[in-house]
This record gives sequence, structure tokens and C-alpha cells, in this order.
Amino acid sequence: MAVIWPKLIFIFGILSLFHAGYSAAQHRTYMRVTEQEFISLPTDIVVQGLLSLVLTMYGILHIAGDFKEIRANVQLQNKSWENVGNRPMFYTFAHRGRALSPNYVAPQSKNSLDGMESIAS
Amino acid sequence: MSGRVRTRIDRGTGEIVAYSDAAVRNNMAVIEYCRTSMAALSGATAGMLGLTGLYGFLFFFLAGLVLWVMLLLKAGSKWQQYFVSRKSLLTSGLFSGLFTYILCWTFLYGMVHVY
Repeated sequence: MAVIWPKLIFIFGILSLFHAGYSAAQHRTYMRVTEQEFISLPTDIVVQGLLSLVLTMYGILHIAGDFKEIRANVQLQNKSWENVGNRPMFYTFAHRGRALSPNYVAPQSKNSLDGMESIAS
Repeated sequence: MSGRVRTRIDRGTGEIVAYSDAAVRNNMAVIEYCRTSMAALSGATAGMLGLTGLYGFLFFFLAGLVLWVMLLLKAGSKWQQYFVSRKSLLTSGLFSGLFTYILCWTFLYGMVHVY
């Protein structure tokens, strides 16, 4: 609903502008037919024209779209180091904390310990 | 965050401010749209009101001023988020709309007041 209002305002402004123009043309014709001197338009036509111009521009301003943030680093300013410095490739899951698990089976043989050390070093 | 980033040194604080190129271009396109529409519509209004001579050109600059105020109202108090400078918002592309204005002005004047 919020999107359709500017268009309605725009259409109404255009119609009002057209109506004011038609009134001006008719006034001009009336002056010519009755053979009076044309001095200036009536005030209500002038006011209607100016008001409908402002109304139409208000509609166009909202139809044209929203402005975007132009400063490039403004989104980065609010982030903490934990967010920016996050490197999933460097996560380590096979660390010594697994020895705290109740399901942990300690390696028995010396060979397997040697294997662990050679991996770790 | 797509596109190039342009930097510029702020005159007040001396800090380097980075501007996103795509966002700047988007805002320029919005302003250009509004400016062209304003030129056409104010030309139509001027022709309808029967302005002639210098009054018509005065009306054009008045309409440009009104458009500037409306753009600043749309941007709100934090206009520095959207524009690099307020003054260039008023002056840039002002004369490119003049021809559109004159076209609509003369057309509507002929439609309403001559025929």
C-alpha cells in the first residue's frame, strides 16, 4: 500500500494541472468572445496550477526511488573483530580437548602415539 | 558493496572518506530523473500560466530551487549519507534541463494562449 500512494498523488497532480490548463484556455476564449482585454489569469487558476505542480513533483520524488548510502565503509564500522577476522579455513577440531569427552578412547600402543606426534609436528 | 570505491579527503576533518561508486551513481540517476521531470512539468506550468520573457526564466530557476529544497527534505537531516555536497546538488545539471523547459513552455503557451 505504501508504494501506490505516490503514483496516485502523481496522477492526481497531472490531472489537476491539465484541468488548470483547460480552465486557462477557456478563460482566454471567454475573454476573446466577450471582447474584453486580457490582463491576467484569475487567481484560482494560477494557484491551482502551482499547487498541482508541487503535488506532482512530490509524487515524482517518491516514484524516482530511494537514495543509497554512499560512504563505502559505514557498514564495516559497526562490526567487531570477531566478525571481520573470522577464518573458517583455520578452524581446528582435532585438538587435545577431545580427551575431556567421556567417549574418548586413549591410544594404547606406543606406535599410535608415535603416529600422533609425527602428525602434530 | 559491489563496484569500485572512490576515496576523497574530507576538508573539514582531514580524514579519508571512501565512497561507493555504484551508490553515488544510483543517487545521481535519481536526481537526474527528478530534474528532467521538474523541467518538463514546470515548463508546462509556466506555459499554462502564460509567462513570457524573463519571467519564464525566473520561474525556471525558482522551480530548480523548489526541487532542491524538496530533495533535501527527502534526504532528511542526514544528507551527508547520500550526497557529497549540497551545493553541487543545486547547480549540477541545471542548464541541461533548460531546453526541456523551453520546449514544454512554448508548447503549452501555444496550446493555451495562442490557439
